[in-house]
Parts: sequence; C-alpha cells; structure tokens
Amino acid sequence: MAVSFPKCPSSPLPPLQTRNRAWSSPLSAPVQVGDSSKWALLEATKRCHLCVSATNGGSAVAPVEPSKKVQDSGTKTTPTDHSTKVENGIRPTVFSSNEFQDLKTGPDNSGRESTVSITVVGASGDLAKKKIFPALFALYYEGFLPKHFTIFGYARSKMTDSELREMVSRTLNCRIDQRENCDAKMEEFLKRCFYHSGQYDSEAHFVELDKKLKQHEGSRISNRLYYLSIPPNIFLDVVKCTSLAASSENGWTRVIVEKPFGRDAESSAALTRGLKQYLHEDQIFRIDHYLGKELVENLSVLRFSNLVFEPLWSRQYIRNVQIIFSEDFGTEGRGGYFDSYGIIRDIMQNHLLQIVALFAMETPTSLEAEDIRNEKVKVLRSMKTLEIDDVVIGQYKSHTRGGVVYPGYTDDKTVPNDSLTPTFAAAALFINNARWDGVPFLMKAGKALHTKRAEIRVQFRHVPGNLYKKCFGTDLDRATNELVIRVQPDEAIYLKINNKIPGLGMRLDRSNLNLHYAVRYSKEIPCAYERLLLDAIEGERRLFIRSDELDAAWALFTPLLKELEEKRIAPELYPYGSRGPVGAHYLAAKYNVRWGDLGAEH
Amino acid sequence: MTILRFYQRPSSLSIAFSSRHERSFSGSSELVTLTTRRNQCWRFSPLKSSNGSPLAGASWKDDGKEMPVPKVPDIGSQLAENTVSITVVGASGDLAKKKIFPALFALYYEGYLPQHFTVFGYARSKLTDEELRHTISTTLTCRVDKRENCSDKMEQFLRRCFYHSGQYGSEVDFCELDNKLKEKEDGKLANRLFYLSIPPNIFVDVVRGASRSASSPNGWTRFIVEKPFGRDSESSSELTRCLKMYLIEEQIFRIDHYLGKELVENLSVLRFANLVFEPLWSRNYIRNVQLIFSEDFGTEGRGGYFDHYGIIRDIMQNHLLQILALFAMETPVSLDGEDIRNEKVKVLRSMRVLKLDDVVVGQYKGHTKGGKSFPAYTDDPTVPKGSLTPTFAAASLFIDNARWDGVPFLMKAGKALHRRGAEIRVQFRHVPGNLYKRKFGTDLDKATNELVIRVQPNEAIYLKINNKVPGLSMRLDSSNLNLLYSERYPREIPDAYERLLLDAIEGERRLFIRSDELDAAWAIFSPLLRELEEKKVVPELYPYGSRGPVGAHYLAAKYNVRWGDLSDSS
Repeated sequence: MAVSFPKCPSSPLPPLQTRNRAWSSPLSAPVQVGDSSKWALLEATKRCHLCVSATNGGSAVAPVEPSKKVQDSGTKTTPTDHSTKVENGIRPTVFSSNEFQDLKTGPDNSGRESTVSITVVGASGDLAKKKIFPALFALYYEGFLPKHFTIFGYARSKMTDSELREMVSRTLNCRIDQRENCDAKMEEFLKRCFYHSGQYDSEAHFVELDKKLKQHEGSRISNRLYYLSIPPNIFLDVVKCTSLAASSENGWTRVIVEKPFGRDAESSAALTRGLKQYLHEDQIFRIDHYLGKELVENLSVLRFSNLVFEPLWSRQYIRNVQIIFSEDFGTEGRGGYFDSYGIIRDIMQNHLLQIVALFAMETPTSLEAEDIRNEKVKVLRSMKTLEIDDVVIGQYKSHTRGGVVYPGYTDDKTVPNDSLTPTFAAAALFINNARWDGVPFLMKAGKALHTKRAEIRVQFRHVPGNLYKKCFGTDLDRATNELVIRVQPDEAIYLKINNKIPGLGMRLDRSNLNLHYAVRYSKEIPCAYERLLLDAIEGERRLFIRSDELDAAWALFTPLLKELEEKRIAPELYPYGSRGPVGAHYLAAKYNVRWGDLGAEH
Repeated sequence: MTILRFYQRPSSLSIAFSSRHERSFSGSSELVTLTTRRNQCWRFSPLKSSNGSPLAGASWKDDGKEMPVPKVPDIGSQLAENTVSITVVGASGDLAKKKIFPALFALYYEGYLPQHFTVFGYARSKLTDEELRHTISTTLTCRVDKRENCSDKMEQFLRRCFYHSGQYGSEVDFCELDNKLKEKEDGKLANRLFYLSIPPNIFVDVVRGASRSASSPNGWTRFIVEKPFGRDSESSSELTRCLKMYLIEEQIFRIDHYLGKELVENLSVLRFANLVFEPLWSRNYIRNVQLIFSEDFGTEGRGGYFDHYGIIRDIMQNHLLQILALFAMETPVSLDGEDIRNEKVKVLRSMRVLKLDDVVVGQYKGHTKGGKSFPAYTDDPTVPKGSLTPTFAAASLFIDNARWDGVPFLMKAGKALHRRGAEIRVQFRHVPGNLYKRKFGTDLDKATNELVIRVQPNEAIYLKINNKVPGLSMRLDSSNLNLLYSERYPREIPDAYERLLLDAIEGERRLFIRSDELDAAWAIFSPLLRELEEKKVVPELYPYGSRGPVGAHYLAAKYNVRWGDLSDSS
C-alpha cells in the first residue's frame, strides 16, 4: 500500500513561484522558519535579479528591500523581457558574483545570516569526483549558492583538506561560455571545501564532523545537506549517524540519496522504513537524475503551457509512446555493482518509468511538488503490473569489427562468467485509465548498443479517412505523425509531419517541424546534478521521488524481476555495438508498434 | 472515349508512395479526364530515364485497378498521337513575356509537356516568328539546379514557338490561326489551350473568335482567363454569361495564381494528411486566422489598371478569399477538383456579407526617408489626382457555420508597405487553466500558440510553442518548431504559373475557380465595394514604406486580435 503524506503546509510565498519559493518547511525544521525564510527571500531576490539583469543589459541592480522584491518576482518574468533578449540572440548573462554579494549583504532584519553546509558522504567515490563537486562549483560559479556555504567531504580514507582540494580541483571546469575569472572563482570555491575522515557507522566521528561544521557555521542559522554518495548497504548507518549526531540545531537537515533504492518492493520498503526511523519524509531527497534533464523538465511545459498538444494527449490520438535509452558502451570493467541489479532496475524501473509518469499524468492542480507527485503516483498506480510476456531481455556478447574486439558482458572481470543479468531490456506497459487505456508504452534500455541516446517518441494514430492515402504507398505506419523529444545527446524537439514535396507533382514526404536546442539556445544546458542539488538546497521537491511513488514503481516491476530470477531466464545475446536483440522487435510487433529509433531517418 | 497513354516515367528510385509511376496524359474529351483523374498522386516531379528524356510507353494499369479497355477510334491504332497547341493571346504583353512563356519553357525543360506540342503567340502587333522567338528568349532561364543542356533545350523549345498576328475581335484572323494550327498538328489528335493574357474588355471577343473559328475538331479546347473577372457581382455574372455562350463550364479555367503557390497547395496536405492539425482546426482551439499580403512597392507608374480596381478587388476578393476558403473548408469527399470546389463554395456561401464597419481602407502618401523620397499613390502620373482607390485594406470576415462561428478571419493587403510577404497566421486560444500563467506576465496574447504558413518569400511553416528556457530557473519563452523550405528542399520551387498551366493542360481543375465560386466570392464583397464608391469613403493615408494605416489595428482590436506580422520578428 502506498503511504500517504500530509501535504506540505503552504509556504509564505505564492505557490506558483516554484523556483522562488521559500525553502523552509516547518515540518523539517520547526525552529528556524522565520529566519531561514529571510534567506530564502534573498535567494528569491537573487533569482529574480536573473531576469531583471536581462532587461537591464546586465547592469547591477541596487539592492531592494527583499520582501517587496519577492512580490514582484512573478511579474518580472514577463514575455517581453524574454523577447527582448531573444531578439538580440543573447542569453541573459548571469550577474557577476559581486552584484550578487551586494544583494546578499543587504540589510538583514534579524542580523543573523543563514548558511548551508553540504557534506558529501563518500567524497572519494567516482560520482562525487565526477558529478557532485563539479555541480557544486558550477552552482557557486553562477551565483546560485548562498553567500556563506561550506562543503565537507566525508569518507574513510585519510586525507587532508588540501588533498581533497587537490583531488576536487582536477575535475572542476568552467562553463564554456563563461570563462571569466574562472581561476579566481575556483580558488575561492576550494577554500570553502574541507575534508573529514571517519567511519560511516561511527557516531563519534559524526560528532567530530558536527563540531567542525559548527566552527564554520559560526553563529549563523545552519542548514545542512548530506549527499549520500555511498553503497546502499551503508545508507542506514550514515543516516542514523548524521541525524543523531550531525543534524542542524536551528536550520534544516536534508539527505540526498541516490539509487538503488532497494532491489524490489520489499527491500525498498525496508529501506524507507529504516530511513524514516531517523528522518521525516520531507528530509529525504531521493534523486533520479533523469528528472533533472532539461527536456524532461520541459515535458510539462510543453504539455501544459501550449494549447496545441494537450488536445492530442490521449488514446484518441496517440497510437503508442516509446521511451528509449541506449548507451554505446558496456560495463567496461565496472560491472560489479551492475551485475547485481541489471538494466531493468538500473534504468527502467526508475528513469524511464519516471518519464512515463510525467508524460502520462493528468494536469496537476498546481506546479507544487506535492501536486505533481500526487498525479505521478496516480499514473503509476493505474499501470498494469508488468508480465514476463511483455518483456524481452538481452545481454551483449563480444563482437569483432574492423579488427577491434569488443568484449562480451561476461568477459568483464567483475562479472561472474555465468551471469544472466540483462544488459538490455524492452518492455510494454499499459496504463489502465480513461486517458491511456490500450495505448502501449514501450520502453527500451540497453548497454553496448550502436548509439548513445535517450528520447521519448510519441507516435500518433493514422489519419482517419485519409484523402492522401494513395500517396503514401503501402507503409502507412511511416506516414503517421510523430513527436520526438530527444533528451540526450543534442537536445531537440521535433514533430514529424507529412508535407507536399515542392514541385509540380503531388508527392508527400515527412518533414520535421524542428526545435534544435543547440541552434535556438546558445547557452550550455546545465547538468542535471546542478539542478537537483539546487532544488534540494531550496527545498523544491518536484524532481525528487516520494516514498509512495517509489512503492508504486516497485510494485509494477517486482513480480517480473522475481520471476526472471526464479526461472533463471537466459537473456537473448546480441553483439556489442548492434541494435539489440531481435526479440525487441517481436515485442513491439505484438502491439503493432515499430521502434521509431530504428527507422530510416537514422 | 479514348485514353491514350503518352509516356510513362519509369524510375530507378524506389519511392514509398507508390510503385506505379506511369501517368496518363491527355484524354480526348473532358469526360475522360474528369473521371480518370481521381488520383492526385500520379503527378510527381520528373524522374528521368538514364538518357534524361521521358520514355514512351503504354500502360493501362492504374494503381492496381484495371481501367476499362479503351475503344480506340478507327484510324486510331495506338499510334495516333496527341498534341497540344498552346496559344497565348496577347503575346506581346508583359505577363506573357515574364510569366507564361518562361513557365511553358520550364514545363518543357522538365519534361512535362507532351512529346508533340506547339506554342503560338497571338497579338495585334506585326511580328515574325523569329521576332517572337527573340523576345521570348530574352526572358527564358534554366532552373538554377539543372543547367545541363539548357541552351539546346531552349533552342528546341523556341523552334516550337510561332506567331500569328491578328485582331482580337476578328473571326477571320482566328480562322487563319486555325489553319496554321492544323498545319502544325498534322492530323494528330489536337488539343488546344488558349491563354487569354489580355484586358478584360476583349475577353468575350477573343473567346467568341477562338471558340467559333479555332476550336479543336477532335480534341479538347480550353481557355485560361486571368483576373479581373468583373468589378462586382453583376459585371462578373455578365462576363460568365457571355463566356458561357461560347464555352461550357469545363472549358473555362479561371486562374488565381495564388492557388498555384507551393504553400497554398500544401495547406490541404497539412490539414488532411496529418493527424495533429485537424483536431485543432475549429473554433474550439483557434482564436483567429490572419491572411496577410503586403508589397513593399507602389504602382510605380503602372497605376492605370489598378486605379480602376483597387486593392480589395485586386488581392482580397480573389487571392486572400481563395486561401481562406481552402483553409476553412470541410474535408472534401476526395481530392477531385469538383469535390474540393464544392467544399470551397460551401465556405464562401456560409460567410457573412462584408460590412463597411469591418473594413479599413488606406492609400499611401509620399514619404521621405534617408534623403530619398518615395512618391504617393496619387503622384503616379497614371493615377487621377483625386483618386480614392484604396492601396491598402484590412477586413474582418466571419464564417457562420458550426466549425467557425465567431472566429474572426482577418485579411490585410497593401502596397507600398514596409515589407513584402504573404502569409497565413493561425492564432490559437489561450491554454485554459494555464498552470504557467504567472510565467507569462500580463501579455497572455503573446503566449498563445501560433501556426504560421509563409507563402512568400522564403517559404516556411512554423509553429510557435512555449518552451522552458534551458537553465536552472523556470522561465518560459516562445520558440518555433520550424520547417524552412530552403533548408529542407534545396530544389527550386516551381512558379505558380507552371503548375497552373500544367493543370490546365491536364484538365485538373482543383486550382481553378468555378463560376459558382466566383459568384459566391463577389456576393461577399460587392455590397461593400458599392458602398465605398457611393459614399466616396476617403482612405486613411499612410506613408510609403510604413506598416499601413493605424485603422487596421483598431479593426483588429475590435475583435481582440493583434496582427501577428507586426510583432513577430521572424
């Protein structure tokens, strides 16, 4: 049964200003409401400034009394502002950090500043090095972090602060489009990074961390964010220690956890139960970094801020939906973790299913996180439990091409030789509600395939009574409209339409109504981790997964996963670098679907 | 009934739309073409055989259906050849030189004309064949993307061009033409097409002469007429009545060259070959439709004809209204010419008669910009000093049927404006209960979706959508889902006249205006035109090169519309 949660008490700011909302919630941090929302107001002011600076050509804006500005912030983002900027072809330059600091040091009524301390637990790990520290730096560089912040690395290895800094500095880079002051910024950022060595299950070590944090926090209101970049088996230990020994006394304490959230419905529920012994629901931020992708975020905008898509968004017009994820490399010697989870748990049950939920949900009451997540849970709970007949699994085998030998999955030294773990899976899912009854949602995820991509493809129905039927020849499937949202690489949205080929004949072909992000938006698109870290700091939960969502997601996949393992179903082998096992085509054909990514266009 | 297959175009390319590429060419009677030309897909852009010329061949198969076995006339054997003779009446005129002969050459160059054809120029001036050929040759060009053999082809084409000098009202002169035509046709099955590129007051004379004395004895005879088709309901129906004394409806091809524009042709494809547009194509989702035509030059010393008609008759009542009818019509039973025109007539007949209150007229005045002065309309020596003829007009029209009730269709046409262009803009309604309302600020109108079909220049289709600006904040802006023809289709788009001439030769009537269509179109505009003239309504003056009179904005505002072309930078 899904657990239901009380809705967050409404924040002091208007509900629609999601990005600008106060980040505090009385539930998580009863003590600090008033003061920390001050900070939030300032934060909002700064965000607002982002828009303002675009109109003012980037000139500094004098500090304004914060609360007044926040009220304005909604209206500041007028389309006029946008169009001015768009016409110049210039993206708004983010204000320099000096301007930002002017704002931050503006008058504070209480005289107390707030600070945020971000502790990366498992700081020596790969994810931390490659993603988390660079994302934090990018946020700092762009002025999104509060004026005072502290970053702590926590891990077992013995390291000094400067060793950590040395390690972090190797992976930092500045945005391509904003190289100014990069070195100076990096220097400043690294000065705020510290390291604390300790065992993951030792409360004493976390007490030491707490002391160090307090030192840096001084008398400020302290908010603490823990990023758990550690294996799942020690999640609970760390959560226990942090919450007992290193929670903030007067601000909020939040914990970001990454997948895997268990292996099945039971283990996931156990994990949630464990976490909840020490944390409230709204202290837990379950990250699904796919939800932080630009085009996944845009999905709701596309649906709900345009008139032209929503009328088509149902079984009446949509024939099938395909969610496709492929990587063009294998485990490459790092299959240890993967082998015990497999592609279904690694990609489908979380990333792809989350996209389906966002895609298929009903219009939420508002853009509030709880409202959106309520709708997502409804979709997940309306879905038919996945059966083994509707799934095809595969595993890549070695392949020699052009003299280069590509290894099979089981050639990986970290993978058992007889492993049956799928590295590819395709599945057909159904949502049994009024909107989607009978529309197949096809998912496909695989490693070591011929391309690297993630996309959503919406295939529309045939035109009823098509006057131009004869012009399409026999393959009517190719003549249906298709909306493609390419999440990566090369973000784009395009709608395939049938068009007359210019000329004296009446020949039709398919053309794209195109929106290519690289052409339209010259600015680099921020990495998903930046968005999610910022959201966690701001308490914006829209892109994080609630416990009941997680339960519902597991409920769909658990019986299948169990059956696969119990029956020891052998995956269909496919060559490294190929288009995946043939079974995926049969599965699609069973529901009269043709995979859109394998069409002639590519 | 005879159906002769002239040539087929085998293709080495395999194209998804159909494996059959034969197309029939020319029926010997109107009926044949009417009944066999159901399938629009026969036509396709040229696919040459390896030697670059169309192959002769015969096939009776038509898209899998067996055609009735043709009864071949006695002389007939399948060797009897068809020929088409195209007579351009008014050959020395501007339109003939600039558009008609080049279009005929382009058709020939691309292999669309039958193997045997003759082109005749007919006019009063004394010219030899050679002189005509010389005049024509100065305006012929080869397509940019296919220069091969161009001068050879030109040479061959010119050899088929002849000239006959005669009076427009003289049947005797047409008799002589008939003799010459027969000579060239040489006993073949003769089809004749007359292109009337002459002033309207001699239409009827020419039709009488040509139909009585120079009609084809054994093939079809067709007449292409260009606007103006009268000045109002009465004169138009009078013209139709006179034409019909000599011709049957099927022989009259009233050209509206806007219907031959690539994107106007594509309008029906867009609507009926895609699933995603038709559900939105009604008052439920569309807030207003704008049909905009603008030229960036004035009459430039050639205002004589224009002054007599004015912009409403010259552009609105025909070109824009035709586009509107195509845009708004219900799904036709088939793509057949008659079915489509039936639907268009229904739209026109459902339209409210235009009232003076819903129209704004303007006239350009002189303007000095950057030291250069641009003349006013009345500065044109060919225009009377006190002329009240509108060079600009805006109008709001309404279709009182179930699909479009209450949706304003705004038209705007003008000369001497700040830019040149023709486009259709479809503004969609606001998103009901928009979750992102706050992100749009106060000007919600700018945040609605808009479909733009740019007919010229730079053919394009784009759909304006709201999109999240990439980045960490939630800001929306409007982006385009784009289809720019020049990028997608590098090949040059054929001129509207090529398409229309070919259609007339083939008896494809889809893009020509039927008499009842014309009547319905005049019925909407005639009362207004009369009122404007009777009341001597003074047009609002606007500077040469400006965006037109302010009145157009008030008119749009009256129906809560904002002109899309003035706020859109693209």
